[in-house]
Amino acid sequence: MDSQKVDMFIMANSKYFESHHLIAIRDRLISLPDDRWPILSTIPFKDPTTSIIVSLLAGSLGIDRFIIGDTGLGIGKLLTCGGLGIWAIIDWFMIMPATREKNLAMLQRVIM
Amino acid sequence: MTKNKLYFILVLACIAGYAWLYLDLNHTISYKPFTVCLVKLTTTLPCPSCGSTRSAESFLKGNFWEALSYNPLGVLLVLIIAITPVWLLLDLIRKNNSLFLFYIKLEFMLGKKIFAIPAIILVLTNWMWNIHKGL
Repeated sequence: MDSQKVDMFIMANSKYFESHHLIAIRDRLISLPDDRWPILSTIPFKDPTTSIIVSLLAGSLGIDRFIIGDTGLGIGKLLTCGGLGIWAIIDWFMIMPATREKNLAMLQRVIM
Repeated sequence: MTKNKLYFILVLACIAGYAWLYLDLNHTISYKPFTVCLVKLTTTLPCPSCGSTRSAESFLKGNFWEALSYNPLGVLLVLIIAITPVWLLLDLIRKNNSLFLFYIKLEFMLGKKIFAIPAIILVLTNWMWNIHKGL
């Protein structure tokens, strides 16, 4: 794929991934055939900032986990008052990396 | 979600659950002044799963209807906490991943609208009932 296109993608979507993954993502995208670009540009990545806001406001109800697609963990949080309150607090710090991890998995499913 | 991560979370959750029940049954924690629920602490309104400890305690003492009237989710939690360690051990002994496969299947099913919408309605109804009861 054209490196200019890839750089544009990286610039537009860098907040969705861990910074240490960006170089590997760039290398992988450059080696990707051009016909994957339309799919790549329409992946609905989850915004880590949205996750943290939801986590702060409704983390005890597990909604932060539901929106990033971890339905099972969301139910776990919902049924246990946010893991006795402790899990909800841990997730205030863990939800952003978890969202970025989900985004990477989503990207990997498309480029693999 | 990987198998090891799920099993680690389940083991931790079971340990925390049993520890919480042990503290509760020994009356180390008392209900009225003590709550760990962040929703209740911030809004003074109960969350959908408030009352689960009281429900679990009633259930373990054999008062099934009292347990349901506190919070039906408490009965569900007792069943989960009773079944999960046995299932985990069986998986460990047989060296298979049936619990992990069940979790993935359950997650997939709950992602479908036909299951998700009734589940959301049930939880919201239970929440409204909790607020009405003033747990």
